[in-house]
Amino acid sequence: MEGKIIFGKREAISLLIILICNQLILGFPSIMSNSVGSAGWILSIYVSILALCLFLIISKLYSAFEGKDLLDISEFAGGNIARIIVGLIVVIDSVLIISVKLREYTEHIKIISFTQSPVSFIMLFFALGMIISVHFGIEPLVRSTTIVLPIVAIGVVIVVAGSVKNFELSNIMPILGTGPYDIFVGGLPRLSIFSGIISLFFIPPFMGGYKNIKKIGVLVITISGIVLTVGVLAYLLVFPYPVSSNNVLAFFELSRVLEYGRFFQRIESVFLLTWSLAGLLYLSSGLYFVIYVFSKTFKLKYYRPLIIPFTLIIFSLSLIPESLMEIMYLDNKVIRYYAWIVAFGLPFVLLSIARLVKRKRRGMAKNGK
Amino acid sequence: MADLKKLIKDMFVFKEPEPREEFILEEKESEKIVNVTDAHDETSEKKKKGSLRNLFSKSANSEKKDSESGKESNNTENMTCVSKNLKENVEYLKKRFSIPINGDVVLREFDIVIKDRKIPACLIFYDGMVNGMLINLNILQPLMLLSNLDVKGKNGEKDIAEYIHKSLVTHNQVKVSHEFDEIVGEINFGGCGVFIDGIDVAYACDVKGWQHRGVDRPNNEIVIRGPQESFNEILRVNTALVRKILKDEDLVAESIEIGKRSKTPCSLLYIKDIANESLVNEVRRRLQNIKTDYIFDTGELEQYIEDNTLMSTPQIVATERPDRVASMLAEGKVAVIMSGSPFALVMPTTNNDFLQSAEDAYVRFPYANLLRIMRVIAIFMSLLLPGLYVAITNYHHEMIPTDLLFAIEASRERVPFPSVVEIIIMEFAFELIREAGLRVPSPIGPTLGIIGALILGQAAVAANIVSPILIIVVAVTGIGSFAIPNFSLGFSFRILRFAYVFLAAMAGFLGITFGLFVQSIILCNAKSFGVPFMAPFGPKTKSRFQDQFFRSPIWKQEKRPDFLNTKDTQKQPKISRQWRKSEKKKGKQ
Amino acid sequence: MGSKTKKSFTVLLAFIMSFSVTGCFDKREIDDLVNPIAIGFDKGSNHSVRMTLQIAIPTKVAGGGEGGGGGGGEESVSYTTVEAPSIYSGLNMINSYVSKQLNMSQIKVLVFSEELAREGIEKYINALMRGREFRPHSYVIVARGTGNAAERYLRAVEPELESNPAKYYEMLLSAYTYTGFTANTSLTNFYKNMVSESTQPLAVLADISKFEKSDDINMDNSSYQEKGREFPLEGDFKAGDMPKVGTIKSEVMGLAVFNGSKMVGELDGEETQLQLMLEGNFGYSYVTIPDPEAEDYVVLLNIKQNRKPKRKVEIVDEKPHIKVNIYLEADILSIQSGVNYESLEKVKILEDAAEKFFEKGFLRMLKKTAKEFKSDIAGFGKEMKGKFLTWDEWTNFNWIEKYPDSEFEVDVDLKIRRPGLMLRTYPAAGTEVGEE
Repeated sequence: MEGKIIFGKREAISLLIILICNQLILGFPSIMSNSVGSAGWILSIYVSILALCLFLIISKLYSAFEGKDLLDISEFAGGNIARIIVGLIVVIDSVLIISVKLREYTEHIKIISFTQSPVSFIMLFFALGMIISVHFGIEPLVRSTTIVLPIVAIGVVIVVAGSVKNFELSNIMPILGTGPYDIFVGGLPRLSIFSGIISLFFIPPFMGGYKNIKKIGVLVITISGIVLTVGVLAYLLVFPYPVSSNNVLAFFELSRVLEYGRFFQRIESVFLLTWSLAGLLYLSSGLYFVIYVFSKTFKLKYYRPLIIPFTLIIFSLSLIPESLMEIMYLDNKVIRYYAWIVAFGLPFVLLSIARLVKRKRRGMAKNGK
Repeated sequence: MADLKKLIKDMFVFKEPEPREEFILEEKESEKIVNVTDAHDETSEKKKKGSLRNLFSKSANSEKKDSESGKESNNTENMTCVSKNLKENVEYLKKRFSIPINGDVVLREFDIVIKDRKIPACLIFYDGMVNGMLINLNILQPLMLLSNLDVKGKNGEKDIAEYIHKSLVTHNQVKVSHEFDEIVGEINFGGCGVFIDGIDVAYACDVKGWQHRGVDRPNNEIVIRGPQESFNEILRVNTALVRKILKDEDLVAESIEIGKRSKTPCSLLYIKDIANESLVNEVRRRLQNIKTDYIFDTGELEQYIEDNTLMSTPQIVATERPDRVASMLAEGKVAVIMSGSPFALVMPTTNNDFLQSAEDAYVRFPYANLLRIMRVIAIFMSLLLPGLYVAITNYHHEMIPTDLLFAIEASRERVPFPSVVEIIIMEFAFELIREAGLRVPSPIGPTLGIIGALILGQAAVAANIVSPILIIVVAVTGIGSFAIPNFSLGFSFRILRFAYVFLAAMAGFLGITFGLFVQSIILCNAKSFGVPFMAPFGPKTKSRFQDQFFRSPIWKQEKRPDFLNTKDTQKQPKISRQWRKSEKKKGKQ
Repeated sequence: MGSKTKKSFTVLLAFIMSFSVTGCFDKREIDDLVNPIAIGFDKGSNHSVRMTLQIAIPTKVAGGGEGGGGGGGEESVSYTTVEAPSIYSGLNMINSYVSKQLNMSQIKVLVFSEELAREGIEKYINALMRGREFRPHSYVIVARGTGNAAERYLRAVEPELESNPAKYYEMLLSAYTYTGFTANTSLTNFYKNMVSESTQPLAVLADISKFEKSDDINMDNSSYQEKGREFPLEGDFKAGDMPKVGTIKSEVMGLAVFNGSKMVGELDGEETQLQLMLEGNFGYSYVTIPDPEAEDYVVLLNIKQNRKPKRKVEIVDEKPHIKVNIYLEADILSIQSGVNYESLEKVKILEDAAEKFFEKGFLRMLKKTAKEFKSDIAGFGKEMKGKFLTWDEWTNFNWIEKYPDSEFEVDVDLKIRRPGLMLRTYPAAGTEVGEE
């Protein structure tokens, strides 16, 4: 990478929170409701705790390799081939996720305000934002995230707090929704919600000597877990099942419920501001992540020329699905079921192998004497 | 009768036009294409070589000819050092200062009497730039009258020079020099040069005495509570104003000259054991490496040394208040003051400096924070309000309360333009009024403001060219932009406002968000002398600097800003109100 | 300029030009839109629906900047009726002859005729919920009467105090907080209750005044006789039957009870108040109680519901046993008979009488919902829901079928707090005139 870029703990946390929590705004609550009925919030807590445990295990394995990111470790473990394989897996996975998300954001905004505009017109705004922000590098992007994240958070808090008037406890009855089996076993693949955590393992070189990745990871997962759960809980308290699983735009519907007297009605378009900001931040961070991993995998010196080709690839991929229903199917059933393999499985496997290799080498060195 | 005839004749008879010579700007000698037939003797020889080359060589020759004619005075022209011969010096001075064509140069020749020798001398200065009394009393009088005192010691020339310098010229700033350039430089800036026959040095005395403005109240940064002094155009007065506030011998005011011809003196101010050394070195490096002929104002200087010319926000603060400069120096920043400009430059800056006015420090804690909130709201309004109006009325109709919607619709019914065009018309009109208001002569000045704003707006509404709500939007935007403390920033927002209107017209809230996002990226990327512009929001610095957005009470501000990497970070001890501590102890007893 | 700046300039220029080529798609100027504020649905012939739109004319509503305006509701709206297979086809047809484009985001009121409601309005509600432009807080109203009740009702609405008919609707329909004669039947509530297996939806009843002159006023349509009263109290009417005469012809009182998406009955004003109390949404209102000690006299109380009711549902022998505790507070407004109810001894009598009065009303109403309407409009299913652990158990329980067999027990706890400004009523002192 060009130049030594360092950012602090606070910025890393904001970046990761955006990467994980952006789904709350998209359709996360109704997805939860769809799978387990009125127990969506339980599923959310369960998945967060599970992710936390897994992360603690992985970070224990990681502690031997402070300061290195996944690509360095894979190179250590298996040489160039391993690095290229790991890099490619991560890149492809991320590209797919980002292109689906780009389309989803666009479709949502189209439903909300821009019913007549063509999809590519709106996607152009997002794509331009991505190109410009990645062009300037990761530093301004991360700083913008730190500044903008509180604004997005305030927007979410206003929506949740404003809908308290419409809370009805009976809406989350029956407590266990569609049944404990569905929640605890069927909900396992939902771990993919936290797939954004994989970018945490690529951050160490930027942290400039901050060695405690574990602390950041724990903090991020806890905060995201709380935010997601509160969001889902608020949504479920307002809309009973099965209405809750019916809504295309869960959080948007929640903001439509806000009504204070005759004046504060239908201010959901204001939230369009916060949502577009969150979307732009997420997509830009994702794009930077993809380009960074790619250029590091192939040991490229400059990453700027990669921006436009990758944006075009993502743009074209996101235009492939034909309708919103197809996108939602892709997002809910396909990606969310398999992304956890890359996010948690890959580091786990990789780190175990690397540990073994390290032990073997140390053993060989000892034996060599 | 005869007149009438003449008149008719004049009207109908054709008259030859009188030959009038129009002024033509002649080209340089070397660019002139002279007719070959008017050639000199020498060129006829070179005719064979081709006419073009002839022309060029002819012109070269002619130039050489001109220079040759002046060969007699070659000696004096090529002089760089003062000669012992007064006559040569006088010739040189006459040539260099274009005497007697240059009307305000005074060349006074007089005699110095030492013992019984009469030594001729001369004095040269610019009339109007010098204080005549100083010259008369401190230079002419001692040299002409009081020089007839005993010279103790050898009667050598060197002694005379020293004697004159150390004992006779009773002036507090005298420079001795061999080089003509130095002396001429001093003369150009209000000094007077003294040349004495037989001595190969000349004296340049600083007798500045031109008319200038006194120390006035600040025009642009007006506070209610706080000192009411502002800088004026004299360098030494300005540095004195800053120094008398800080009274710190660690305050260093380095002299730097900028401009090849104008040699404008500047001062680089910093506090030696607070400011970061690399920062000072960087500023010095940039200042010393500006190559230009003349420089006039710190505005130009700012543009020479700033990081990024194309960025919309300024990266250097220009202020005309010495107390503000002093407080920024105390934080660890660096200031540059230039002679001839009442604005001092302070660098590096972050975004917070543009939100603060000098008054924030002098006013109590709650008021200062309330004012800051107002300013932030003003900034957002001046930037986004027209864009938001366009976005809401064109794309997001459901947001408008029903009554307001009908009101807007009713008022827009007869307006022929779409809202975007309306806004652009009104914004342009507003900017025109602003610009014109600067140049209107003072009797009409205030009335133009009233006329422009009220009557024009009202008339436009009555004529159904714009809708009344738009007037309010534009007026509030304009007022908001005046609430921004920093002039350049307000300016930049005036430009960006139009960009937001276009973005909003294209894609409603999405366009505005896109614009905000891109702007925040660019702002976060900007650096001002190595300090990120959005510190301390951007890179979250470790120490909790208490004056970022909200100002904490003054007894809580203990540390200097972390992003400046100052040498001494502690401004106040933890308990700066020591009287509290002692009170408690007394109570216990 | 350097080549780098030149390059970025050309790119920027290309982008800007491409934007101008694409154009702004969704941009619609405000004055290119027309905003209807109410829709009425009537039964048309052959599966079609007859839609009436009440459109506000902004120039007449707002009055502009030249003064004038103010009041005059008649001119500020215009009506149009169209017959079409569904909502959106009707909108399309209207778009073809109205010069501006219809924008449905200001619709405050959705009126269904009684005929249409009795057949079932599921398909319309679904379409309205799916559309992004319709407000979720618009009110669902059923217009009483036969034939084109909705159109009749809409055409009769002439707001007098407002120039903006939208404001009229909003204020009128949110008056339940201080009258208790209607309820918050917003579209989102209606939809949620319609598909819910634990509650049933309600809609506000509306109608046009029957009486033209005050001589015509009669109490024939009041329900006081069914309730066993000797004279009608203020809540014993439904919309259209109120004994009133005035320029404001539209009346709103009472609720339409739905079973699923079909209308099955009506609640009059008093029953609506009780329904609000059961939900816990009763604000405050004036209620008339027959005087316990003096016949033919009434006591006026200002009733508030300060605490939410306690509801319990138990299953006994396959039948739901529903117990409700209602907590009310009252201030004395007027004692016509002059009996000193403000004193500490007599206040208990008044409280008991009021409690019995309400309990009787509750039992009557709840029995009606169970036996006659067979629909659980007070939402007792919500209490039931909490007893199950999984969704399938709940759906298998099938509360909707079980509700008609319910047994009710209501306990009202009423406390009189303040007597107004007077501590006791003194009788007028004068000689007896005209009585021997």
